[in-house]
Amino acid sequence: MADILIDALTRSDEPHVVQATLVSASGSSSKKIGAKMLVGASGKLLGGVTIGGCVDAQVIEAGDELIARGGKRLLDISLDDDEAWEIGLTCGGNVEVMVERIAPTDAGDPVVAAYAAVRDALANDRAIVVATPIDGAPGAFTLDDDGGSTGSLGDSALDAEARAIASDVLSSGSRDATLTTPSGTRRVFFDRYAPPTTLVIVGAGQIAMSLTAFARELDMRTIIVDGRERYATRERFPHADSIRVGMPSEIVSEVAPTKRVAVVLVAHDYKYELPVLRQLLRAPVGYLGMLGSKKRAAAVRDLLRGEGFSDDELARVRTPVGLDLGGKSPPEVALSILAEIVQVRSGKRA
Amino acid sequence: MTAYRAIVLEHFRHPRNRASLPDANRAAEGANPLCGDRIRIQLRVVDDTIAEARFTADACALCIATASLLTEHVRGMPAARVTLVDQSWVRAALDGDPPPGRTRCALLPLDTLKRAVGNAIT
Repeated sequence: MADILIDALTRSDEPHVVQATLVSASGSSSKKIGAKMLVGASGKLLGGVTIGGCVDAQVIEAGDELIARGGKRLLDISLDDDEAWEIGLTCGGNVEVMVERIAPTDAGDPVVAAYAAVRDALANDRAIVVATPIDGAPGAFTLDDDGGSTGSLGDSALDAEARAIASDVLSSGSRDATLTTPSGTRRVFFDRYAPPTTLVIVGAGQIAMSLTAFARELDMRTIIVDGRERYATRERFPHADSIRVGMPSEIVSEVAPTKRVAVVLVAHDYKYELPVLRQLLRAPVGYLGMLGSKKRAAAVRDLLRGEGFSDDELARVRTPVGLDLGGKSPPEVALSILAEIVQVRSGKRA
Repeated sequence: MTAYRAIVLEHFRHPRNRASLPDANRAAEGANPLCGDRIRIQLRVVDDTIAEARFTADACALCIATASLLTEHVRGMPAARVTLVDQSWVRAALDGDPPPGRTRCALLPLDTLKRAVGNAIT
């Protein structure tokens, strides 16, 4: 979603828009830190920093003010609502939302310049962090996962400290931090952008159908791979970004293997599993899972071990695939697979 | 273990000629639409003789074994004689009949080979 907002922002021809960013939350928040909303001078809205209701309304109201006079504000908003509390319909807690006016057509606007770097990084399959002061000061600093940086927070000591924190945020997630330098302290929001996960699904059966539907909600790009034209059809996979029919091992080898690629084998057929695993066991994909029982997985591993694959390489295949959620139906299995991919992607362990 | 089974497993585990052929001048790809076997056979034909035959496949053991046996068999054969290779040759090479319902798996390489002979590529 953030990518869509940045795209909208950088293509906007409005002289000013207001960007609202969720920078911190205590209690329960329905949105991820970094969630954004754009408020245009024409009243147009895009995105949201909460699930809606009174909070987004307050942000929009503040945005309308900033459109007129410019600058940046930090809104500290309580999610409590006395009436809602009485009837048990409030989550409770506080959120901080940074609201700032941006000039989309001004390349000299530090946020606009930072977003140009974000677009460039995402187009080149790189993750990137944008650091912006929360306390009202101007400036923006970016660091991508190739080590490239642009912009500044205003002084070299701040930039050096921001670089160190941004390196950590690249592998974790968006958060705020207080930087301390000889010239004082500054609160900065570190916003992480990463290319979407590409989910390659080998085998166009029922589990694959559920995977493509659910993955769409998770902003994943899906590629259906099968050798059977009658299975891998647009009618069966209306949500898939790409449907490829051919030799599965050749098709998967055409996908650049990065940590943002997840491959799941749900064909439950060794005729695809063995050749695809031969292609991927030594490729740096972020996730590799295969549907099947422990016994069957052991047989596949034995065959591949006999071909020279090491135990470490074979251990990369997650099988039985997915988190053990207890479900057996195709949608339930698909859910457990996606849950495991999200777990691996976020670096969490069960 | 029957001779048929031993042959299939041997050629599945150690397939002959399973590789791409960069200087191929004939090729064809075949698929079994329901089971999903996919195979590509590439040939280098020199002076009307099959100088080299190789295959790549994402396919079952029976299909791979048959492709392995066939590519061994036709190397050095005049291209025109490939039409004479038939189902009975496949049965003899496997030393038995495929199980009911698996005949398509065994015949896919043969069908693909015959189409490859007639399909010149540049």
